[in-house]
Amino acid sequence: MSTSATIAAPAISTEHLTRRFGDLVAVQDVNLRVAPGQFFGFLGPNGAGKSTTIKMLTGLLAPSSGRMQILGIELTQDSVAVKRQIGVVPEGMALFGRLTGSEYLNFVGRMYGLDRVTAAKRTAELLDFMQLVDQPKALVTDYSHGMQKKLALAAAVIHGPKILFLDEPFEGVDAIASNTLKSMLQNMISRGATIFLTSHVLEIVERLCSHVAIIHCGQLVAQGSLEELRAGVEAQAAAALTAAGAPHEIDAPAPAPGAKLTLEQIFLRIVGGTRRADQELSWLG
Amino acid sequence: MAGLTFSSETRGQFSAVARVRWQLFLNSMRTIRGRMEIVARVFTFLAFGMGGIVGSIAIGFTAWYFVYSGRADWLPVLLWPVFLFWQFVPVMASAFTENVDSSNLLRFPLTFPCYFLIRIAYGSLDPPTLMSSLWLLGMSIGIACASPLLFVPAAAVLLLFAIFNILLARMLFTWMERWLAQRRAREILGMLFLFMVIGFQFIAPLLRHFGNRSQPAVSRVALQALPIERLTPPGLAGEIIAHSLRGEYPLALGWFALFGAYTLAVLWLLNLRLRAQYRGENLSEALARTAAPMAKQQIRPGWNIPGVSGAVSAVLEKEIHYLSRSGPTLFTLVMPVVVLLIFRFSPGKTDGAGGLLSHAFDLAFPVGAAYTLLILTNLVYNSFGADAAGIQFYFVSPLRFREILLGKNLTHSLLLVIEMVLVWAGASLLYRPPPWDIVLATLTGVFFALVVNLTAGNVLSVYTPKKVDLAALGRQRASQVTALVSLGIQAAVLGLCALAILLARAYHHLWLAAIIFAALAAIAIVIYFLVLKRLDSIVLQRREAMITELCRA
Repeated sequence: MSTSATIAAPAISTEHLTRRFGDLVAVQDVNLRVAPGQFFGFLGPNGAGKSTTIKMLTGLLAPSSGRMQILGIELTQDSVAVKRQIGVVPEGMALFGRLTGSEYLNFVGRMYGLDRVTAAKRTAELLDFMQLVDQPKALVTDYSHGMQKKLALAAAVIHGPKILFLDEPFEGVDAIASNTLKSMLQNMISRGATIFLTSHVLEIVERLCSHVAIIHCGQLVAQGSLEELRAGVEAQAAAALTAAGAPHEIDAPAPAPGAKLTLEQIFLRIVGGTRRADQELSWLG
Repeated sequence: MAGLTFSSETRGQFSAVARVRWQLFLNSMRTIRGRMEIVARVFTFLAFGMGGIVGSIAIGFTAWYFVYSGRADWLPVLLWPVFLFWQFVPVMASAFTENVDSSNLLRFPLTFPCYFLIRIAYGSLDPPTLMSSLWLLGMSIGIACASPLLFVPAAAVLLLFAIFNILLARMLFTWMERWLAQRRAREILGMLFLFMVIGFQFIAPLLRHFGNRSQPAVSRVALQALPIERLTPPGLAGEIIAHSLRGEYPLALGWFALFGAYTLAVLWLLNLRLRAQYRGENLSEALARTAAPMAKQQIRPGWNIPGVSGAVSAVLEKEIHYLSRSGPTLFTLVMPVVVLLIFRFSPGKTDGAGGLLSHAFDLAFPVGAAYTLLILTNLVYNSFGADAAGIQFYFVSPLRFREILLGKNLTHSLLLVIEMVLVWAGASLLYRPPPWDIVLATLTGVFFALVVNLTAGNVLSVYTPKKVDLAALGRQRASQVTALVSLGIQAAVLGLCALAILLARAYHHLWLAAIIFAALAAIAIVIYFLVLKRLDSIVLQRREAMITELCRA
């Protein structure tokens, strides 16, 4: 697969990043480069190593080997300096269930070094923006899943991070909230922030992200802009056609004539297609 | 309940539910923690079993005595405790646990009778039901031994009594389910249970206090209440057996029919609730919430504690919010004063005033202080337990763990200070103000113990954390390893403190103990800061284990 053109001073870069759990190699030799200002989608099938990678990049998990640099700072050397610059919505959302939404945001703001007044001011603005003001006394534990997601995202941005790491940010979020979040993220990008997100919703990634990487069985199998990935897949298909001399059966939906490959089609071709429904589960209605 | 036939599909569903529960049990033994939980549960069941057997013998013997001596009218005295235990304990116990959401079963094609029976079976195999059934069995045997002819009517009545209790418990539970589906309601119920437990501690002292005086008003009320009592389920059951003993069978049958009508009424009420649930009424936690009215939020700035950084202030503020919303923790915090009260009203060696500490008034303050240290163990030795998934935030935030732990330690120290003031006030009011040298020795001793506990607690909080729920009763225990190690440390520290105080007291120079404690505390402080400094690297090594444990569902 093609890679992006060489970018000076990447926002995120990894070299031979590897993580083993006993005999299982969850992430192997991953070399990522994310330029500043990119909206970067990190994709992969279930269990491919997405969450493991994002956990390593945010300091939640130690790598077995390899290097990671965030904004040019070695994460393992000066993790505190890195963490000041990043915002994270991890898999478990990292919420404190027995606080109210405002108490939680206030607490997070103070932990990121904001003074009391600024933390309170931003808390009010974020609660208003995320439409979480109508339950002032409700504890976070009593929030719906979507509300918790919005709160986790608000907490991740309260200190104005330069890089935002989001693990499945749109999971369980309704259409209205999803729209709010998307516009907020795009505003951040337009102001120069970098966003690194994982998602299973490929339509959202395709609409938001300028660059994408695909991890499969722990290995990075594709990385680049959407156009680069599309060109790579089409070139590969053409090469296969030339070699076989006949249309090659690919286990992935083909685009309509004249239409571009969607991200879903690119993804399926890279990680290995779909099952043929007519072959199995014949008893289904 | 018409149409209660067991088709092959229904039998399959019953067997599937039983199998899945068995499978869940087997799967829970895959981890060491799960196996330990099961061992603990076996001990609990053994304790309940012993309670059931011993209670059964005691009730059987008493029932034999009542019938043998012609006092069958007194049988309700035995039936009332069984009835109350059967009805109150399962409902109260529900405050300790998350409730099974019946809607999980409703997505399957269950018939209503099948659903009904599964719901009854879910709740009927709990320890209170098994214990109560054992007690009733003992009672039947006792009655049969005293009067063999009475066995059949007594067994029939007690069987009906058991069925009535099972149905009533399920009926009360299903009616309370909507209320219990809300976290706040479960917490309130839990607190009521705890206050009941405290109340029990005072029964004996109060009985002793009032027992020797005649209470004509109480006797008058009791006499007036007797006819009403006869119409209650325990009263009715006793009446039926008493009439049978006297050969008044028509009367006994009449009362039996009334009791049967009670049972049918309960069955009807239960049927009403379960049918509503079967039709799709969902009582799960998520749906029990209602939208709160819109209100503009006033955001006030966080706390600013002089002398510490904003982050440490924020941790302290967060910890105080957590503790103030934890009913069980607040309950624990009043216990030192309650213990002093119990000591005050408990009998001493002589019958004089002062209770257990009648010969050593000056020890009330040290005893209360020592108890305070013990109750803080769960908090101090498992500092991250209540943070649950929030632990991830600490790892992604730009803070060193030493600052986070400092905030938590400050909170625990602040709690201890408040507790010490309360204990001092309690000891002064209940006994007399402790002498200055006792106060000084106790305070320095507590300070030394606090520093040792915080040091060990910080290490164990990192090495053996355990997710706890501060809002739920019985879910605040630290891990088994933490419990054992903390017990050893507490025993050593309190033993050392007690030895120093007793020695100094024997030599009538209590200030000597204060000097010893001050020296020990100075050493402990140095060790505390050395450990705190090392903790950042230890936490990084332990982060995966910590996150895995604290983020588990």
